[in-house]
Amino acid sequence: MKKRNEFLCLLDELFELPPGSLTGQEALADLEGWGSMAVVSFMALADEHYGVALPPRQFGNCVTVNDLLALIGDKLPA
Amino acid sequence: MKAVIRAVEYYLPEAPLSTRQLATEFPEWSVEKIDQQTGISLRHIAAPEECASDLAVAAAEKLFASGVARPSEVDYLLLCTQSPDYWLPTTACLLQDRLGLSQRTGALDFNLGSSGYVYGLGLAQGLIESGQARCVLLLTADTYSKFIHPADKSTRTIFGDAASATLLTGVEEAAPHLGPFVYGTDGSGAPNLIVPAGGARHARTPDSAVPHTDASGNVRSRDNLFMDGAEIFSFVLRVVPAAVGELLAESGRTPEDIDLYVFHQANRYILEHLRKRLKIPAEKFVLKISECGNTGSSSIPMALAHAAQQGQLRPGNLAMLVGFGPGYSWGATLVRWGPL
Repeated sequence: MKKRNEFLCLLDELFELPPGSLTGQEALADLEGWGSMAVVSFMALADEHYGVALPPRQFGNCVTVNDLLALIGDKLPA
Repeated sequence: MKAVIRAVEYYLPEAPLSTRQLATEFPEWSVEKIDQQTGISLRHIAAPEECASDLAVAAAEKLFASGVARPSEVDYLLLCTQSPDYWLPTTACLLQDRLGLSQRTGALDFNLGSSGYVYGLGLAQGLIESGQARCVLLLTADTYSKFIHPADKSTRTIFGDAASATLLTGVEEAAPHLGPFVYGTDGSGAPNLIVPAGGARHARTPDSAVPHTDASGNVRSRDNLFMDGAEIFSFVLRVVPAAVGELLAESGRTPEDIDLYVFHQANRYILEHLRKRLKIPAEKFVLKISECGNTGSSSIPMALAHAAQQGQLRPGNLAMLVGFGPGYSWGATLVRWGPL
């Protein structure tokens, strides 16, 4: 299973950023790629790498990239 | 008596809607981005005066022209559509007349989306193997384009219009060619893939026709098709792998026994994700969406016909069909493909 910093690199790819860009503190609203398609892509990554099924409604509460990682919870190794 | 598929044909209306055209209408989305998300470069759109039933007639006529059967041999007509000509009478009754079928034909519409073909095969098998019918014509036909708002890129990039025609008859054999069948329904998902107004629950009014812009910049009114992509994705991830597992268990088969997996062709992204999740090799997985888009209940029969034409599906092969769509509704079955 991918560790937190490896998963952040996957999110860099999702948001079309150079690898190593995201720290987790970024506001989603500031990321150009954030939207309904990014939600689906994130759900796919969570399913593929952690076997976690994320209900779409939970994304409404996410403000930062760290909030997205928190959705995966304790399945995401540090 | 065991039901067997004798022929599958399909029809695509002429007017093309390319991704290139859509990219000019939605300048914030490039051709590459649309293609990356959907895997679709072309959809076919029914003409303004062209109904789903017209597409169904064209598909059926193609099937009869192949010589597999004469219209007079059909004694049961099933039409899967969510775009009927009228509230009433039944569109299948109109098709009986237009296709010149015998008046001793049973005919009915059933209203399902992309799960519809699996359900249609189940109904046809039941009719034939219970002795109620000898020759079933199963048609699928939809014009989702007519429900879609032109400024709604979430749906306009995805859906295409089409129809299919499948002929099933009975053979005196011991082993079934179709089944088992796995069915599922979750009505709590209804609001996530819906045309809200125009039915009995909410009539069309001047107010229902007022377009609104959503948070993603897509425009639609309550008369238009609405699809919550994230909710649909969540639904598909939840039910499809489970249905595949259930079907394998019920049939006593392993994944390796399946020669070809034919899933509803929703969009390439979701299909690729399912393929990887289920560890299905690419050569056993049908992807036929780039030239037609998501055609609802026609997607599986079109994919079957295409795979057979390309030699990807051969006589004796065992195919797994999995449909999933509005309702929510889903279904899965096995088909032993015979010489057509």
